[in-house]
Amino acid sequence: MPGFSNLDRRAFLQGVGGVTLALPLLDAMGAEATAQAPRRFCALYTANGMSLPRSEHGIDDWNWFPSRDDADEFVFSKSTEPLAPFRQQLSFLSGMYHPNGPKADPHVCSDMWLTGAPLHNPKPGTYNSVSLDQMVALHTKQHCRQPSLVLSIDAGTGFLSRTGTISYSLEGKPIPAENNPRRIFDRLFRGDRGSLQAERDALKRRIKLVDAVVESAKSLQQQLGQSDRERMDQYLTSLNEVESRLLASERWIDIPLKPQDYSHLNLDATNESEPAEYYRNMFDLISLAFDADITRSVAFMLNREDGMGISDTFPLKLGLSRTHHSLSHTGDKDGQLEFAKYDLFLSQQVAHFLKRLNEYQDRDGCVLDNTLVLFGSGASTTHNPRNLPTLLAGGKNLGLKQGQFWQSEETRLSNVYLTMLHALGVEVDQFADSTGTVSQSVFEKV
Amino acid sequence: MTNTPNRTALACHILLGFVLAVGLVGWLGLSRPLASAEPASLDQSFASTAGPFLQQHCVRCHNADELTSGIRVDHLDAALEDRQLKLWQAIRQVLRKSSMPPEDEPQPTDAERQAMLGWIDTALDVAQSRPTPKNGSVRRLTVEQYRNTLRELLLLDDELTDTLPPDAVSRDGFLNNQETQVLSPLLVETYLDIAGKALDRCLVDPTARPVIQNFRMDLGRSINPQPCPDALILGANSLLLNNADFQVTQPIPAKSFAFESFAMQTKFRFIEGYQGNDTVRGWRDYDSIYHAVFACLRGAEGYPQGRAYSTVPDGLLLRPAIPSAELFGVDSTYGPRANFKISLRELPDHGRFRITVMAAKYDDGLLLDAQTPTQPEESAEAITVTAPQSATTVTMPQAGIYQIDLYAAKEAKPQEVTLQLGTREFIGTLQSPAFLVVRLPAGELPFRLTSPESMPVERCVATRLPDDHPLAQRFRVFEQRSPRVGVHLGLRRDCGSTLNPVSTPQAVTSTELRPYIFEGAIRNFPSPDVEADNVNYLAGIREIGVRSEYTDGRDMPQLLIRSVEFEGPYYDDWPPATHRNLITEAESQASTPEAAQQVIRRFATRAFRRPITDQEATSLMAVFEEAQAQGESWQNSVKDALQVTLTSPQFLFLTEASSTPDAEPLNDYELAAKLAYFLWNGPPDDELLELAATGALRAQLDDQLTRMVASPKFHRFVEDFATQWLSLDKLAVLEPDRKQFPRLTRDARLHLKQEPVMFLEHLLRENLPSRHLIQSDFIVANEVVASYYNLADQTESGWEFIPIPHQQPELGGVLSQAAILAGLSDGREANPVKRGAWVARKIVAEPPDDPPPNVPTLPEDRSLSLRARLELHRNQTGCAQCHAKIDPWGLPFEAFDAGGRWKQEAVDASSVLPDNTPVADYHALRRYLAEDRIDQVAFSVLKHLTTYAIGRTLTYRELADLKRESEQRRETEYPLQDLLRFVVQSPMFLEK
Repeated sequence: MPGFSNLDRRAFLQGVGGVTLALPLLDAMGAEATAQAPRRFCALYTANGMSLPRSEHGIDDWNWFPSRDDADEFVFSKSTEPLAPFRQQLSFLSGMYHPNGPKADPHVCSDMWLTGAPLHNPKPGTYNSVSLDQMVALHTKQHCRQPSLVLSIDAGTGFLSRTGTISYSLEGKPIPAENNPRRIFDRLFRGDRGSLQAERDALKRRIKLVDAVVESAKSLQQQLGQSDRERMDQYLTSLNEVESRLLASERWIDIPLKPQDYSHLNLDATNESEPAEYYRNMFDLISLAFDADITRSVAFMLNREDGMGISDTFPLKLGLSRTHHSLSHTGDKDGQLEFAKYDLFLSQQVAHFLKRLNEYQDRDGCVLDNTLVLFGSGASTTHNPRNLPTLLAGGKNLGLKQGQFWQSEETRLSNVYLTMLHALGVEVDQFADSTGTVSQSVFEKV
Repeated sequence: MTNTPNRTALACHILLGFVLAVGLVGWLGLSRPLASAEPASLDQSFASTAGPFLQQHCVRCHNADELTSGIRVDHLDAALEDRQLKLWQAIRQVLRKSSMPPEDEPQPTDAERQAMLGWIDTALDVAQSRPTPKNGSVRRLTVEQYRNTLRELLLLDDELTDTLPPDAVSRDGFLNNQETQVLSPLLVETYLDIAGKALDRCLVDPTARPVIQNFRMDLGRSINPQPCPDALILGANSLLLNNADFQVTQPIPAKSFAFESFAMQTKFRFIEGYQGNDTVRGWRDYDSIYHAVFACLRGAEGYPQGRAYSTVPDGLLLRPAIPSAELFGVDSTYGPRANFKISLRELPDHGRFRITVMAAKYDDGLLLDAQTPTQPEESAEAITVTAPQSATTVTMPQAGIYQIDLYAAKEAKPQEVTLQLGTREFIGTLQSPAFLVVRLPAGELPFRLTSPESMPVERCVATRLPDDHPLAQRFRVFEQRSPRVGVHLGLRRDCGSTLNPVSTPQAVTSTELRPYIFEGAIRNFPSPDVEADNVNYLAGIREIGVRSEYTDGRDMPQLLIRSVEFEGPYYDDWPPATHRNLITEAESQASTPEAAQQVIRRFATRAFRRPITDQEATSLMAVFEEAQAQGESWQNSVKDALQVTLTSPQFLFLTEASSTPDAEPLNDYELAAKLAYFLWNGPPDDELLELAATGALRAQLDDQLTRMVASPKFHRFVEDFATQWLSLDKLAVLEPDRKQFPRLTRDARLHLKQEPVMFLEHLLRENLPSRHLIQSDFIVANEVVASYYNLADQTESGWEFIPIPHQQPELGGVLSQAAILAGLSDGREANPVKRGAWVARKIVAEPPDDPPPNVPTLPEDRSLSLRARLELHRNQTGCAQCHAKIDPWGLPFEAFDAGGRWKQEAVDASSVLPDNTPVADYHALRRYLAEDRIDQVAFSVLKHLTTYAIGRTLTYRELADLKRESEQRRETEYPLQDLLRFVVQSPMFLEK
């Protein structure tokens, strides 16, 4: 029966109010007391789609999507071959799309990738809606030092219509991205005293205010009859919960960072350096941040739509003949082959990332087992908002059944996102325009 | 969940599933515990009689797992909870008729049957005579109430409540039901954040000098003697006004207080931008105010008649802005046609702003269609100008309405010509000689025609039209019309629009230039949120759009815009009203603990809607004192106390404190709050609170109700109530099939959604009989809505809703309103089940039972009509019972399509209603409801009004009382405002 299981779950959550959320947070802090390994999310976006060569060119083995062999097993294409060692830890998804995709200007598909928002008809006063990584951050922030890490090839937000970030706040505002490895490292691993003190002061003030509200609520409660007190109890419970979260955040400030080896980092790499060197360092930083549980939510825009920004020139730096955006518009055999070779380059970078996440260990397995890595684009080939190339890696401990090629006819990405949220323990009943969760293929056991 | 389920079935089950989920919420412990007043003997007799009977004859098929016909009885007991009474009645019914147990099952003896029936009778009597337990109530403000309250308390227009989680919908469809309201840590944190933000925006440093930004753009052909020499770069599909046709200055506004003028940045260095339609990379430096503020246009292509915009020496002429289509690629997504915008880089990031548009109605002519016949040249009235290309002067013998025909010298493709008559200019594409109808004065008239060389015009003929000439009549209507100037604010983007209206459009009735003022809170509009060192030429560009607003494409004189001036933050005084409202100048200057106490006490008394207790005062002062001890400034310490006030339950909850389980009257402060949150969806005003303070409110209840209904704030009630009662939100999420329903555009839907609200408001304010809800000889509509019903020629009210007589048999009343009928469809196919369920729930208050779980989906066979597929579905076991109470109400609506419009072709809309009344068609259904069943309709209104007014689901007994009471008022024809009065004066409202 479609829908019902989710609705029941929602009803259940509402029925018990704040109580289910009131987990003993302090216990969740510090590695020794962790009841459950961290659950993490990382989104990796590549612009302009992937090379899906026309069949008449006879280079189907360069199509980004896998093919199938005689045993009906999927076969990595030449452009994703570097990912083959992780076969049992990843799956390819086809048929993904956002229903709002075809309605909006195709150049804003990166803005929509993690949000699914109706960009052609935004809610008054807004442009976008919350992105998946920020939804994860909302529910994981109390467990780690930074709610999220927002990265992009170009710093900042770019500009509306050609945005340089894929992350949007709860209010749907673009979150400026960071792109410089040294600055990221300094901020995450070398926190400065001054800002820590300011953070501590802000938390202390807030704790006092919550205390005062508790006082106020108690004085009202004394004036009320028995049955009304139940409602007031709910309010007090919620206040206590808020307070314990604040105390948890305050404690984080004093907990020392996990000792880690940083020697492999080259913090002089920038987006002007060799593309591979730049990406390697960015991925190494994300891996370190996950390992130290600095954050549990990362969004990284690898390159930008429509020839914006420095990444458009990367194919040229790699010896290909055209820029990224131009390659994505090609229809001839040579062009489509070159575009596929850029896909190959990106596969190599993602493979490096997966390798790193396999090296770091959580208590119950490698970091990748507790992390969902989503890699994809907002267009299948350029400006085509259907059948979005999508790869999902990791999450063995989160109930994912990896090693699949799920060829769905047409599936709302927001349904996949909702399912991913559930796998990550974020029990919301809707995300964007989702109509329910999915339970096929890789998600069979979520 | 499958990915491509049958749409209709899915929608149906989401709807039903939702009802079920809401039901569960109550079940899981939020519902009010019943007072256990039943005699213990009922328990005993249940154990000896009813329980075993159910076990033996019913439970096998009707249990939690089996649920035959969606019914389970295994959980019934002697508690006889309210929500089970309907089921008990149904059991009584089937036992009486001996229709259960089924024939092929073992039958109870007559004695057993009678004993069971006897028990049910007794038990139902006990249950129904049970008094409603009265022991106070605690309701959280809904998001909307919280927003209205914050706004009135703080005089702050900023929209801050977007981050609040939405209110849960109760079983009755309302958001203010205390049993379904949820409290969560997220909610508490959000309240705390909002309170902090709101106070930050209200309070200023009174000793500081505010910084005010002011600039003006003047518009007109060649108005700028020193235009910017650079060709501007504006991205895909942008057009620019000629650089010489606009001028930007930064005048210093006159203010009664000291301030600093904000000078806009004019030097920039960018690396990313556009060249034409291409994105480019490379550093460029700019230095001009015209790279900070520029005049931009879009959507100029393809205007149906005339130019979307043009510049004349006096300013910029705009035709009505036709809304853009909703799909990329189908039509332009570059905003409306025309889309005039002032693009700029800097606007203040806080406070209110004021935009002043100097505008006039252009003394316009009516461009003629290609098919219009020319006037006879030999007519005595005809004045012919030969060689019109050279400037000349014509003497008009008589003032009047003239048709101007332009005769081209040779056949040519239609091309644009400009006709100057006096100081006026008329630009149009000449397709046939008939060009223009225009009013001309008597006397000397400078005359000049400009046409392309490829299409020389040989002669112009001006012919005065007789008064009764159809074109003269059309022109008189045309020249009486007033364009409506609208101002919008948003962010630049390539496609779609983030432009949002600033207050409401204003009619420009005069041909003299006059100022039209628009004000708003800057943070209610999208802000760019780009970092200061962003390197993109187009990053963070804001836009001020100025339009002639469109209704339905009727002929409209052009709007002349002479200048647009911006001032912000806009302060009437310093410190601003939001600050003085909280802290007086004297208090600020004193900065003593006593002054703080005064501020805190005054604010908390207003926030809590009653005098605060000493204990409350002490604990709020403690917040102030603690902040002082931490070294905070006086004002920040006061702010802390105010922030706690705004997060306290005394503010966030509507409490009715009760000390006994018996009914007690509300105290006057509770009554004032209850009235205000009912009839205004917001806080009580000073008058209500003063009456409460003197204890006079109850005596003046009726007068106060009259006053409250007359207030503009009453609209907030009608909007909130009507939206929830009639489920108007469904239209907002509708995705109509654009091919089938081209007129159901995004913009049309916004106006259509207002129709039921405006209609109900009119009925309530005018105290009209309830019959109008079902059958009414007028609709309440604006031009957009009237046009949707083909009644465009009946009104000239622009966007304003007014009553319009319709003389169309299918119109009038809420049942035929497009917002409702389309909202209950999936945008493709009309759905009689949804429509039926809606009528049953909302209009006749006979809600169908909850659907059982495991409802089978509709058959997929698309070759069958929906009616046939429903029949199949209905005939399945488990479905028939409920659908027999739903579908018959919906079938007569088959005469309306999924867009809510009357179908042209004949359809079978006959039905046999659940009470076995046959109705032949929609008209018969309506007549039946308006005449025979008006009691039931009035009861439904009362039921929903009362449920909304008291914020909880009515008990079985309350419903029965309400029904009895309402029927006694039958003679009155149930005028709607009287029903409102009845609710307010009922014990359900006045007691706790």
